Formats: sequence, structure tokens, C-alpha cells
Amino acid sequence: MPKTIFEWDYSDYPGAKTYPHLFKPIQIGNLIIPNRIKYTATEENLNGLDGFVTDQGAAYLAQRAKGVVGGLCFMQGVYMDEARMGQGYVGQAAAWDDKFVPGLKRLADAIHDALAVAGIQLMDCGRVGAVDVEYGHGPSAVPQRLRIFRPMKEMTKDEIKAMIQQHVDAAKRGVEAGFDIMEISGIVGYLVSNFVSSYTNRRTDEYGGDIRGRMQAVIEIIQGVKAVIPEDMPLGIRLCAEELLDDVRGNTAEESMESYKIAEEAGVDYISCTLGWQESIYPVISRDIPMGNWIHLAKRAKEHVKVPISMAYRLFKPELPNEKIGAGELDIWEMCRPMIADPLMPKKVLEGKEEEIRHCVACNLCLARLFRDAPMTCYINPICAHEANAEFADPQPAEEEKEIMIVGAGPAGLECAYLAARRGHEVHVYDKRAEIGGTLNEARHAPYGDDELWTCVEYQKVMCEKAGVNFHLGTEVTEELIEEEMPDSVVLATGPIYPGLAVPGGDSDKIVYLADVMSGKADVGKKVVVWGNRKPGIGCALHLAKQGKKVTLVGKDKTAGFDVNPSFKWRYYIYMRQNGIVAYNDCVIEEISDAGIVVKTYDGYRWPINCDTIVLAQREPNESLKKAVQSEGIELFVVGDALIPRNLSSAVHDGYRIGMRI
Amino acid sequence: MPVDAEKEITRLYKALHSAQDEIGKTYYRWRKVALEFAGDNVKPLDVALRAAEVFGKDIGKSFLPRMNWLKGEEGFMMILGKALAGLWITDGGLATAEKGENPGEIFIKCTRDPWPTWAKEFGVSMEEVALCRERMYQSVLEDVSMFMNIPLKIELEKAISRGQGETVMRLYKTE
Repeated sequence: MPKTIFEWDYSDYPGAKTYPHLFKPIQIGNLIIPNRIKYTATEENLNGLDGFVTDQGAAYLAQRAKGVVGGLCFMQGVYMDEARMGQGYVGQAAAWDDKFVPGLKRLADAIHDALAVAGIQLMDCGRVGAVDVEYGHGPSAVPQRLRIFRPMKEMTKDEIKAMIQQHVDAAKRGVEAGFDIMEISGIVGYLVSNFVSSYTNRRTDEYGGDIRGRMQAVIEIIQGVKAVIPEDMPLGIRLCAEELLDDVRGNTAEESMESYKIAEEAGVDYISCTLGWQESIYPVISRDIPMGNWIHLAKRAKEHVKVPISMAYRLFKPELPNEKIGAGELDIWEMCRPMIADPLMPKKVLEGKEEEIRHCVACNLCLARLFRDAPMTCYINPICAHEANAEFADPQPAEEEKEIMIVGAGPAGLECAYLAARRGHEVHVYDKRAEIGGTLNEARHAPYGDDELWTCVEYQKVMCEKAGVNFHLGTEVTEELIEEEMPDSVVLATGPIYPGLAVPGGDSDKIVYLADVMSGKADVGKKVVVWGNRKPGIGCALHLAKQGKKVTLVGKDKTAGFDVNPSFKWRYYIYMRQNGIVAYNDCVIEEISDAGIVVKTYDGYRWPINCDTIVLAQREPNESLKKAVQSEGIELFVVGDALIPRNLSSAVHDGYRIGMRI
Repeated sequence: MPVDAEKEITRLYKALHSAQDEIGKTYYRWRKVALEFAGDNVKPLDVALRAAEVFGKDIGKSFLPRMNWLKGEEGFMMILGKALAGLWITDGGLATAEKGENPGEIFIKCTRDPWPTWAKEFGVSMEEVALCRERMYQSVLEDVSMFMNIPLKIELEKAISRGQGETVMRLYKTE
């Protein structure tokens, strides 16, 4: 008789009617899971440097546990060796000793408090590990492709046996801590995947050779763990369906499917279908990859094994997983980043409140932070990693109710507006445009997935409506209007200004503004110079290059995309190259002539660039209205690009912080 | 003010050659320091060869992100050969990578090498220059071989002691 931990009845919820396949139970091993939702194990660097669970980590997970509405909620992967070769993140939780059990129990309890199924993942980071020690360990000492990772040492047979035992011991601790389901991580370059891959396993003993040999260590881990966990505790594994390592002679798709079959034979109760490695040259999860791009791999996996298949990877909205589960091509919808951006995402789906979801924009800032030893943060969710801080997570009603004028209905202004209104203030948002969204109205036209950024404004609009924010669109705020209204506080969220070029020829009719180009209002010639090498300039350059124009990007920053996070920047560099965009960084425009411009490098070299259009995409803070507000003695806040031109994330975070403190 | 192309290019050209000249001189200045610290019981050639190994190892690591088997063995070997020739070009040499007669065989040829000139200025033997180049390239290939799981070798076939004529190195895959 399979075990049920918590009973859930979704029949009265609208989401269960819209997405019936997401909210029906599934049996995994001898355990019944009430729905098909899984928050997958996610590192967040919120634990102590010694591997102990912290308040921040527990609060972070508790919030996600609420989100899965009775489904699977996994804590992050734990490392299992005292030597810390398996530790891949400075704030990764540990399970190499019994002393960690109380902390792990805290997490299991937090998940159970939300009536969800608690999962623990065993994760030796292998090739991607050794974050705080000199060498990483793996089946073979294959040099690292990326320098940020440690040099590798080949494991002896004794060390392999010890590593297997560490998995077994950690599994026992997971059971003791009260988890309901267990998972082995074998993805993206972690130790299990190192054994499985022909790229990193060059051994000639019983732990190497063909795919069966390369799976031997995995088989022993699976069997060892199975032997010590209860019969009603399912064991799963995350394995690559495609490594995307063809360029370095990694596994073929056939070998990957063979690894699934071998794992199933060894006794796993489900398989989480993944793809790609940290070292792969192919993008997998960034915004430029269309949603649902990889879902066919789940279908392929199901054709090879009988155990349930779960999958994440650009499945940000419920429609597709619901459809695929209904079609028998997927069993469980996994999420990581969508629930970083909105921990209650599936709960909102169930409750029929999809318009209240703050959608992930697939920027990968979360990953970029982890690899730089920083705590998790989210580009779009200011509360992420502050769940334990009541000021962030649960802003209290304002002590004094104020009348607040917010100038600018872009992401910074809107974020501030709904939160301030929710806290009891009377909020009036003004914008000279007739529509909300600020500069995102134009920025979303940039190619490679930037239309997804607009989900931020859609979310904020709903939040503002719910909070009772008053909008005055098509109204330009002037000194007179401020004098007339005399609000208690003014928040300037006007966005940046795009200053002209104070150089000879700076009044040329070749010059057009970024917003006019991105909205299609400006006439743009065939040869274009975009002035400003941050994200707006890059987006504009790509937008124009896609129209067949020859584009040159010129900017003051030393490298293009200073405001783009490193996990995404490399994509832009590739797209710029593919679209023939030449970038001159660390440069200024010295003069404009009939033929084009003269560029001057930081060290004084000058050369001409022919062009018929110059797009101004270089931004500066917007100081207008500041003095007018201050001269009236009104409390003043400046947020977003009006304060310092940065990115969407900074706008949202600025807006939130002022909204919770005003 | 219109751009004077000749003037700009001349300035760039001078700056490039000065930078290349400093590469060689800086190396030999550090060589001198290393030998002073090493003492009289150490052979200068051993120190220089060890330095070549360190350089090669580090350069080899920088090659790894670009290693790509998707064009097959011949394409891979040619890309690797061009990358090795590129190292010489960066220093100011005129180097090429040419396909050999045997499968996967690449010849790297350098017809103008600034290193013997710098060596002479610092009183270093021409033999050391040639051996260090060979050792550096061999060290580059160590990590590349391990990374791609292909046994690669490179050997000095012909060295012209004064930097004149043609230096030839043979890159190939061993079985």
C-alpha cells in the first residue's frame, strides 16, 4: 500500500480545472505525491561557510514549500565529504556528519509545515566542486575548460568506494532528519555526471570504459542508498538526457538514454531529465532559448524508461507542462528559477491568480551570483534571500499615511507604487506617456527574448490595481503641478536622460534617440553607429542588425554590457559577432561630419567610421524636478535610472526598497 | 578635425612594435633575476626550460575553452596549429600552419622570429631559444592532449640559429 503523507483536495480550486493534469496525484515508488509540481534542489549560498543551515536558508525554503501546494519541495544538494572536495558553493549545506542532522531536520520540518513532500538531494559537485580547497576530485584528471574551477585529481578505487559510502551515510542522515524522498544529483558537471560522461571518465578499470562501466559508481551509489532508506522513501536521480558536449567528445544521446535505463535497473524510482553542462558551449536556459525548447527530451526519456520523468528547463508557464503530462510525455513539472522569482508561483496557478505571478526573466543572475560566492539574489524578485527579514518579506503598514506622488510609471515607479499603497499610503503615479512601462515599452523590442521582460510590468500593473494606486497617465509633472498637489513625498522614477553629443557636428540631423529607434518612429539609415555600450545600446544594435543594417557600437565603458550579468553577457557577445556588430569600447565620439563620426580611443587614437545614423543610447541620471521638490521642502526619493542608469533589476529593487520604507 | 590616417596608423604601428619588443626584453630581464636567485649550481638552460613549461602550461589552459571536435580530426588539428602559430605572431613573428602529407599532421613554420635578436642582446644562446620554443609548445599540448583525450606531439624539425630562414615544427597525433 503506497504511503500518503498529506491529503490534498484540489477539486474546488480554479487552477485544478484549468490545468487538471498538474493537480492530479502520482505514485513515485511507494509514495503518493498529491500533484505534479516539484521545486527542484537549488543552491542559494545562504548556509554558513561550515555547511550548517541558517535562518535565511530555512526561511527561503519554507516560502518555496508553501508554493508547491502539497507537491515536492527539495532542499538544495548537500555535500558529503569532510575534505570538502565535493562542495561546489561556499554556502552549500553539508551532510558529512551527524552534527548536521538538526539543521537538515529544520528544513524537512519547514517543508512539512507547508504540508508538502520534503526532498533531500545528495550532491557531490565533483569537477565543479572544491570551492574552498585546492583540488577537485573525479574519475579522471581531465583539465578544466573554465579557469574558475579547480584542477582535478583522479580518484583511486579506495576513494571511489569512500565516496559511495559518503552518499550512503548522508542518505541515512537525510532519513533521520525526516525527509520523505531522496535524490542523487548527476547533472551539469557534478561528480555523478563526471563518472557517466565519456568526456571526463577516461578510466580503464571497472569504473570506466563503456557506458555500463562509467555507470558502475552510480549503480553502487543507487544500490547503497536504496539499502539504507525506508521502502516507502523513493529515490530519484537527475541525469543528463543530452550533455551538449559534442565538441569535446562527451556522451552521445544514445549513451545518455542508456544511462537512464541502467539507473532504472539499479533501482531509482524516478528520473529528473536534465541537459547541458557548465562547460558546454551551448546555451540552455537563458532568455534567448524559447520556452519549451527542450521538452522533447522528456518524451524521449519516457520512451526509454518506465519510471516517472520530471523536467524543468524553460518551462515557466503551466500550459505546456499540463499539456505534456496529459499527453503522457512528462510526469512532473520541475521548477527552479520560476520559483526563485515567485516562490508561490504554482500556488497562484492553483488559485487561478496567474496574473499575480512575478515571472522569471531567465537572466541567470541567480547563477552568476552563486559562482561568485555571493548569496542568491533574483533580478526581478527583491524579496529573494531576504525571506527571514520581516522588513522585506512582510512590510508593515506605514506609521504615518502619506500622499505620495510617483513621477514615472516605469518598473521602478510601479514597484514602489504598489508596495507603498499596500502599506496604507495614498499613491498617485504620473507619467507623461499615455501608457505604463517606461523605457521597457521600447526595450522589450530588442531581440533574443527581451519581450519576456515585459512580464515584469504586467505583474506590477496587477499589483498596483489591487493596491488601489491612482494613475495619471498622459500627464507631465511640472513644478507647477507639484506646487498645486503638494504631496507629502515625491518619488522621482522618471527614467534616464539621453544627452546629446557636445562635439563638433553635435547638432547633426543624423542623430536620433534610442526610444524612437526601438519604437520604429525614427528613420534609420543602412550604416548606423549606436552611442552607448551598455544593455540599451546592445539591444538597439542587435535590433538594427537584425534588420540588415551595418551597426557599430561605440561606448565609454571598457567592455560592452557592463550592466549585463556575466551569465548572460557571453550570449550577447556571440550574437553581436553573429550579426556583424563591431564594438569600439573605451572610446568617445570626437566629432560628427557628413560622412560619419570620428572615434577617439582612451589612449588618443582617432579613426573615422562612416555612418548615416547615430543613435543616442548613452544614459545619464535625470536631475529634473529634483530642485523643484526640494525647494518645496517635500520628502524626496529618486529611484531607478533617474538615480543612476542601470538595469531593470536595479529599477525593481530600488522601487521595492523605497516602497517598503517610505 | 579630419583624421590623418597615415599619422594614426604610424602611431599604432610604433606602439605595437614597442609592445612586442618589450615582451622579449621583459622575459630576458626576468630570466636574469631568476638566474641570480637560482645561484651558480643551476644551469641557465634548465631554468629557461622550466620557465617555458610554466608559460606553456598556462597558455594551454587558455586554449581549452576553444577546443572543438565538431569539425573532426583534421579541422581540429588545423585550428590547433593555427593557435600555436598565433602565439608566435603575437610576439612579432611571421608564422603559418600548413597541412602535412600525413593525416592530422600540421607544420608550423616561422620565417621571421624576433626572439633570437632579443636573446643576442642579453647574451643568451640561440640553442636555448629554439629549445624553449619547443618546450613551451610541448607544455601547451599537455593539457590539450588530456582535455581532448588525444595524444598530441610537437617536435622541432628545423631551427635557424640567427632567426633567418625558416623554423619548422611538426604537430601530429601519436597512436
